[in-house]
Amino acid sequence: MSHQNQRYQVNLFRPKKGHMRDEVLIIVALLFGWAICTFGFQILLAVSQGSGAGDILTRLTLFGLPLHFFFTGQFLPLWFIFLCIIFNLYIDRISQYHSRRRDRSYE
Amino acid sequence: MNDSSWSIFVVLCVLISFIVVGLRQKSRDSVEYGFGGRYTGRIGGGAAIASNWMSAASLMGLAGLIYLQGYQALAYVIGWTGGYVLLLVLLASQIRRFGKFTAPDFVGERYGSSAARLIAAVISIAISVIYCVAQFKGIGMIFSFMFGIDYTRGVMFGGVAVISYLVLSGMLGVPRNQQLLYFVISFSFIVPLMWIAHQMGYFWILPQFGYGEAMADLSRQFNMDFAAPFASDTLFNWCALCFTLMVGTAGLPHVLSRFYTVPNIRDARWSVVWGLFFIALIYWSAPAYAVFGRLLEAQQGNLLEPGAARSMADIMILKTAVTAGMPGWLVGVLAAGALSAAFFTVAGLLMTGAASISYDIYYSILYPRASETARMQVAKGGTLVLAALVLLLALNPPGLIAEITAVAFALAGNTIFPLFLLGIWWGRANRQGAIAGMLTGILCTFADPLFSGVLPQVGAWFPITSSALCGAPLVILVMIAVSLMFPAPPEEMRRFLEQEVHGHLD
Repeated sequence: MSHQNQRYQVNLFRPKKGHMRDEVLIIVALLFGWAICTFGFQILLAVSQGSGAGDILTRLTLFGLPLHFFFTGQFLPLWFIFLCIIFNLYIDRISQYHSRRRDRSYE
Repeated sequence: MNDSSWSIFVVLCVLISFIVVGLRQKSRDSVEYGFGGRYTGRIGGGAAIASNWMSAASLMGLAGLIYLQGYQALAYVIGWTGGYVLLLVLLASQIRRFGKFTAPDFVGERYGSSAARLIAAVISIAISVIYCVAQFKGIGMIFSFMFGIDYTRGVMFGGVAVISYLVLSGMLGVPRNQQLLYFVISFSFIVPLMWIAHQMGYFWILPQFGYGEAMADLSRQFNMDFAAPFASDTLFNWCALCFTLMVGTAGLPHVLSRFYTVPNIRDARWSVVWGLFFIALIYWSAPAYAVFGRLLEAQQGNLLEPGAARSMADIMILKTAVTAGMPGWLVGVLAAGALSAAFFTVAGLLMTGAASISYDIYYSILYPRASETARMQVAKGGTLVLAALVLLLALNPPGLIAEITAVAFALAGNTIFPLFLLGIWWGRANRQGAIAGMLTGILCTFADPLFSGVLPQVGAWFPITSSALCGAPLVILVMIAVSLMFPAPPEEMRRFLEQEVHGHLD
């Protein structure tokens, strides 16, 4: 019983670990994209204020809006939706992949 | 009928239609109803998430703040959408597998301590109360606007209306139709905006993208640069506010419990995407109201001075509609949307707050042997007590709607978010750490009013609306340090975390 229990634990542990490792990878990648576009862009905007690069950000227009306003007010919410879609697609894929692996080894 | 009685008529019709539709659905398929409504697929789940989220802060407060501050207030737009990324990526599926959907329940179970549960319950009730004060301010302003009475009486009437609505729909047992609510809210926000854009001669089919021209006119003709970055405030405050709202979203009690209604994790995850899209539809529109409002004022030559602008900012979407010459019934549609959003947010928050009093404090801690009836009575009494408290606080509101709401987000982000984050992702976190973390979080949230008189520096690092940029990391550090000083949580919990929460595959 104890042997079986141990085997059960160890064997279920492995695919779990694989799944979790993949999950953490995508989380870190997405949070990076989230932080860069949200805070990175604002820092860039503040630092470049008054210089030529800053002028490009605030003078150029898209849909009539200054580029930085468009980026923050309209593009970023879209970007967040995009990040969520990527996350879901990826998680759908890895959970399918890992549960198939588990099925093959046990059932 | 004159214009304002038309708007009152429309508002009444909308509120009654919610009850009628709810009752019809109830008699048709009452069996299918589970917790808070029937499952209607990923898109329906998304609409439910969005309508649960929309409140007076999104519909009135946001446009008002952008009207006042321009680019600086976009931090609200980003904070209130970007939080869903954090929520989905870090917490959603794990919390669902954990199986506890209210913050006190999760804290009590994960950290195995009734003291931690009590603190978490008090915190969530405080969050609900602060959040409701902002909603009541919105309701009061709409009432005083529609009936032409002063704000105090508007809040009183509004409070009475909310409570009677709550009692009435509670007695009739009306289920909340979240999909219908979302449709009403977005329709009543976007259609009047299209009307204004059309009236002013701008691209009206997608006013979310058509207001750019209006903004250009504003800076060309009247020399008002709406888009100037960091003109009224600093980069630090922008980022602090944005971050606070994001972690607050991921820690807000009534947002987390939405994952209950969807039957499997996969659909729950996808409904977050739809929910975020539906929320973004409103948030893309709010700046347009602000720009059109400013432009109309400038064109008519009565630009308000800052004090007057601030006092009317929360009602500016309705003021703009009237200034643009909108017919009364359409103003009524606009008011009805904002009012129903505020109504249902208040109803939901007061009920979860009261349920928390009855279950987490009265039943779990004070009287474990209390009967079902006694608990129900405590919950009903709790609703009224909370409503009265909110009403009292709303009579003298401390700030703008969105600002008051931001304090609730700061509290959630400083306390509940770190607790969930470490509770899910770090098996070593224990109850001592949790309690220390929550107390630190409360201190951080209210550091500005408490200590800035003595130490002005504190007010700069922990501004009242945006304390979580420094607060949340500090709370996480405190939780880690204190947890490491005390023994690890029971093995059973750690195994549950590893095998069920992180190991179970969808």
